[in-house]
Amino acid sequence: MLLEIIFYTFASILICASLGVILFKNPVYSAVSLILAFITTGMLWLLLEAEFLAIVLVLVYVGAVMVLFLFVIMMLNIHQEEERSGFTKIAPIAIFLGLVIAAELIALYWIQSDQFSGLESISNSSLSVDNTLLLGTELFTKYILSFEIAGFILLLAIIVSISLTLRTRKNVKKQIASDQIAADPKQRVRMVDIKRGEN
Amino acid sequence: MLSLQSYLTLSAIIFSIGITGIVINRKNIIIVMMCTELLLISVNFNFIAFSHFMQDLAGQIFVFFILTVAAAEAAIGLAILVALYRNKKSISVGDLNKLRN
Repeated sequence: MLLEIIFYTFASILICASLGVILFKNPVYSAVSLILAFITTGMLWLLLEAEFLAIVLVLVYVGAVMVLFLFVIMMLNIHQEEERSGFTKIAPIAIFLGLVIAAELIALYWIQSDQFSGLESISNSSLSVDNTLLLGTELFTKYILSFEIAGFILLLAIIVSISLTLRTRKNVKKQIASDQIAADPKQRVRMVDIKRGEN
Repeated sequence: MLSLQSYLTLSAIIFSIGITGIVINRKNIIIVMMCTELLLISVNFNFIAFSHFMQDLAGQIFVFFILTVAAAEAAIGLAILVALYRNKKSISVGDLNKLRN
């Protein structure tokens, strides 16, 4: 009974927060609403005994990605009034589309519910196994190649973001070491014979 | 008792909210990216629910990799957005017709 109360509370908070993401006029409010949605999703993942991923979701998404989003929103200074000009015109189509997709998926789950009947929620808490330990063991043995590729993708993301946003300003007085090393002394210093008595 | 369907239904609702948000806010790239994050979260929710109810850890491993790729995607997308804003002083989708003709 307690699990149901927790689930329905967090599910309603999650749905309200996601509606806030798409309905707020100000992008900052949308981003804060998305943060709430991520935290609530983390709570629901704790209910599903995916403890490591719940913590990772809060740390990575709330701590890094959403801070990046908020940073970009505040840096770009957008006039949100003119951005929402087509809001009312397209809204009925969008709501219809969303309702159709939701109805299709939910009908799919509940009509053929006998296919889900064999799947029961079995708690791991009585088995004294650690979710993080299991995940790490799988990740570093069976999925080690995928893990390395994921690390490489993150490195790629770092390089791409830096190279996209790097600005080299002109008229900056800084040393260029390669030019200094390649300098030829014969071009820098000119020896001039000055004859005594002239000028 | 909470069944698998209740989790899947919640995930379907979040997914349709994300799709609706992409269509409604299609002028504003930042909100479209946030709605993409909502879609990814709902798919991850499906993976974790199935992983819990089928006692298989592969779903959680897959969510781990989806989180990695989504973080990289968000970083690169925002970097493109910043570079775009520096060049055009606008991030509206309607102004992005530089490749036309």
